[in-house]
Amino acid sequence: MSQAMIRVRNLTKSYQRGGETLTVLDQLNLEMAEGHFYALMGPSGSGKTTLLNLIGGLDSPDSGELFIAGENLAQLEGSELAAWRGANVGFVFQSFNLIPVLTARENVELPLKLTPLSRSQRRAQGETALKLVGLGDRMDHRPRQLSGGQEQRVAIARAVATDPKVILADEPTGDLDRKSAEQVLDLLGRLNREFKKTILMVTHDPHAAERAQSIVHLDKGQLGRIEHNQPVAAG
Amino acid sequence: MFKLVLRNLSSHPIRSGITAVSVGVALFLVCVLTSIVTTLQSGLAAASSTRLVVMSSISLFVDIPLSYQEKIARVEGIANVVKWQWFGGYYKSQDNFFGQFAVDPERMFEVYPEVKVDEETKRKFLTQRNACIVGWQLAAEFPEWQQTGKIPITGALFPHPSGQAWDFELAGVYRSEAANFDNRTMFFRWDLFEETLKAAGQDPGVGVYVMSVEPGADIESMRAQIEGLFENGPATVRCDTESEFTRQFVSMLGDIPMFLGWIGAGVLVAILLGAVNAMLMAGREQTHDIGILKALGFDDATAFGVLITQSLVLCLTGGAFGIALAYVLEQPIALAIGSAFPGFFIQSSTYIGAGVASLVVGLAAGAIPAWNALRANCVEALRAKGA
Repeated sequence: MSQAMIRVRNLTKSYQRGGETLTVLDQLNLEMAEGHFYALMGPSGSGKTTLLNLIGGLDSPDSGELFIAGENLAQLEGSELAAWRGANVGFVFQSFNLIPVLTARENVELPLKLTPLSRSQRRAQGETALKLVGLGDRMDHRPRQLSGGQEQRVAIARAVATDPKVILADEPTGDLDRKSAEQVLDLLGRLNREFKKTILMVTHDPHAAERAQSIVHLDKGQLGRIEHNQPVAAG
Repeated sequence: MFKLVLRNLSSHPIRSGITAVSVGVALFLVCVLTSIVTTLQSGLAAASSTRLVVMSSISLFVDIPLSYQEKIARVEGIANVVKWQWFGGYYKSQDNFFGQFAVDPERMFEVYPEVKVDEETKRKFLTQRNACIVGWQLAAEFPEWQQTGKIPITGALFPHPSGQAWDFELAGVYRSEAANFDNRTMFFRWDLFEETLKAAGQDPGVGVYVMSVEPGADIESMRAQIEGLFENGPATVRCDTESEFTRQFVSMLGDIPMFLGWIGAGVLVAILLGAVNAMLMAGREQTHDIGILKALGFDDATAFGVLITQSLVLCLTGGAFGIALAYVLEQPIALAIGSAFPGFFIQSSTYIGAGVASLVVGLAAGAIPAWNALRANCVEALRAKGA
């Protein structure tokens, strides 16, 4: 197995709901290899999205350790954590989460503003990312002028624009028709194979999960079984 | 990020436009109200403390005898005495209201060196019995006077014995750079006024006497001396410096500065609440976008900056509009309210104050949504419904 990109030790996360404490992740231990494509599955409430948010630095654990690319996220907070997130993680969300008033190009260039790149370099890198996802001819369209599949491809272009180590995808095909879903899964597979990105994809869809090299099952906040796939060739 | 700010504002053009115009109109009103106050104050500030005014001790509306002029002129230290009488007429219609005064023509220019006329105007005014001079603002209001040279004034307090209007010939236009002497008044010769009334059997009185004093004169002692002169006369008088007289005249209008100040403050508070409301709506709608920015790696300060900049752009744009409106409309307003507030003008400090006010409104209106954005939890913000 390759070196661990994601290492989770005794990770616990709980929320307060109506005066009760709801433990979503309970003493979770997990390792994920660099350059690997994982699918994270489990029933609703099993803690998939919570784990994804913790790994992405969007939320903080109650206890435990969380190392991503060698960085202990528990020691980062505020603007340090935000800067780490911008440099190391690319997010792909179910509902795309593009800024509606910006064009596809501007959305993709947005995270590049956090890098030392010049304006022209940002523009060139944004164009490259959009061409990579097959949207070179839709750069100046706003999200509402694009189909759902195209919006998700813009979101993927945005996720890879900064060349992050890890791509976290939360139900990336959940809002898409079958054909668009296939295109998005093809793209994720390609990013993993050609660009060696570590990908962690939350999904309910067994068909989507088959695209991953490994399927991690969560149940009631604890690690279930791990399946290793022969990923379906795509693209 | 500035592009994002502008796009957010332009994505709701009606709301942004209405908010900016509201801020603009409010600041325009504040500029005008403030300027009325500063105009009154500058009149007071410019009023001379070395000119003396004698009026009836009962009221400004009670005349004093014509015979007092010689006695006043004999007081040691008096350089010149000019008498004024409020004529209270109107031009064509009672809506055309402006001040008209009968004065001693020669002495007026001596007592008021700040009143400037050209030589030809002065010559006509001093030699032509029915000549008059008008301030440049008044002349601009009635351009036909300079075309015809005639100004018929119907005497409301002093009707002409013929039953017709008083016919005046326009000698020319005066211009005063001093705030205490307004440019929207008409002056005509005392001798015409006196002789016309006397011919009809009336004995004209004097409204006020205004005196210039010699350098180094003891003002306080002169005031006491003049008041003492007429202590047992047919009309007792009161003698004040011009600045004190002006202050009392302004106070007759009530506490206008405070009243206008409250209106201005009310307008500002109202528009602040309007801008806060607009920004709260914008902030709520953009919560999801703030979540996206934070997920992408932007820090809390950037989220704060987006909302506060949005508010500042909105309010400063509105402020610039209001200031431009005030600048463009300054002269028309001066003409429109010149009868009530002569010499109206907007000081540069008022424009600067309006700019600062729009900045403060922008900061205050954006503070709550920007603070909410700063504190927003990324995961919860991403769950929020977008615009």
